[in-house]
Amino acid sequence: MSSQNRRNLLVVFITLLVVLEMIAYVGTTPRPREQFFQLYVLGENRLVADYYPNDNPNLRRGDSVRWYVGVTNFMRTVQLVAIRVRLGNQTIRPPDDQQALPSPASLVTEFKRFIINNETWEFPFVWQITSGSAVGESVHISELQINNQTFQLESSSALNGYNFRLIIELWTWDVESAAFHFGWQASNERRVAWLQVWFNVTSTPLLS
Amino acid sequence: MPCLRIVLILVIAAASPLLIAVDSIAVTFQPDEFQPRFNRVFAIVLQAEAAGATPDELRELVVLLNSALELNEEAFKLTRPDEAQRRNELLTQVDQMLDSLETKASQLEAVASQRTFTNKLLAYVSGGIAAFLGTLAYAYGTSLWRRYRIKRTFQMRIIPK
Repeated sequence: MSSQNRRNLLVVFITLLVVLEMIAYVGTTPRPREQFFQLYVLGENRLVADYYPNDNPNLRRGDSVRWYVGVTNFMRTVQLVAIRVRLGNQTIRPPDDQQALPSPASLVTEFKRFIINNETWEFPFVWQITSGSAVGESVHISELQINNQTFQLESSSALNGYNFRLIIELWTWDVESAAFHFGWQASNERRVAWLQVWFNVTSTPLLS
Repeated sequence: MPCLRIVLILVIAAASPLLIAVDSIAVTFQPDEFQPRFNRVFAIVLQAEAAGATPDELRELVVLLNSALELNEEAFKLTRPDEAQRRNELLTQVDQMLDSLETKASQLEAVASQRTFTNKLLAYVSGGIAAFLGTLAYAYGTSLWRRYRIKRTFQMRIIPK
């Protein structure tokens, strides 16, 4: 074999080696993808409709409202998530998307769960107002029942009972700080997911 | 006597909110009811995932983690003195589950790490072997082509025009 042939073979071998090792690298290294969560609330028929009994957002004490709250994990890792439910009114500040700050509205309850990548966790969220009062023009909700558990509330009132809202926030557990944080860390930025559903409590005689 | 009456009124006034709180079924929500041990186990599960554990392997751990989480939440809902024993039982159960989970997650991490290393090694070695075989095929093809060209050269005829 001439030295020219040997050189040709060496060039072919090195070229093939580089190409095939690159394929091996791409095949064994996970590709970076966008990391995010999907958060949703569905009505009683698991549709983006029928959120209230008879489609009437004017609720009375004891009206049972059935929703389905769901989270899908697209973070590529197992995540511990908490769904925090707050009761607010029209004037209270909603969560801040830019600063990734939760709403200061009073916390009612939270639901926690470990979910693997690409998994959706959906659970029924059945709630009703179990106690409230009207003082002057202000309507107070003092007790909510969620999934058969009763929660007492502080400072949850709305003018004439209009525009109460349930704010649903997604929190994730950070192993390093060993605490829940609002939203999640994606690349170098903090992202948040939250929802709110408005309702009225205007039938004052039925509050007491 | 008026002094005693005032003291009595004050005692009753102080005790009333406590009595009401004990009798009431409703609870004001406390968000920080999370055992620190969960964090350690969760960290090991994440390490196992990073080491290459498959979703099916992880699902098994996550199911157990969620069961432990539910028991933990149930235990923290038991706040009355007469529920203390049940609460302790539940917390012991949670501890046992977390012990088991910690062991399983550590084993899974070791297995997944070994498997990932083997897979990577196989992929890179296969690349080398494939490059060698490709070079051999190239050499064989080139020699065949050369022989064919020589044969064709000797088969040439000179045709006078």
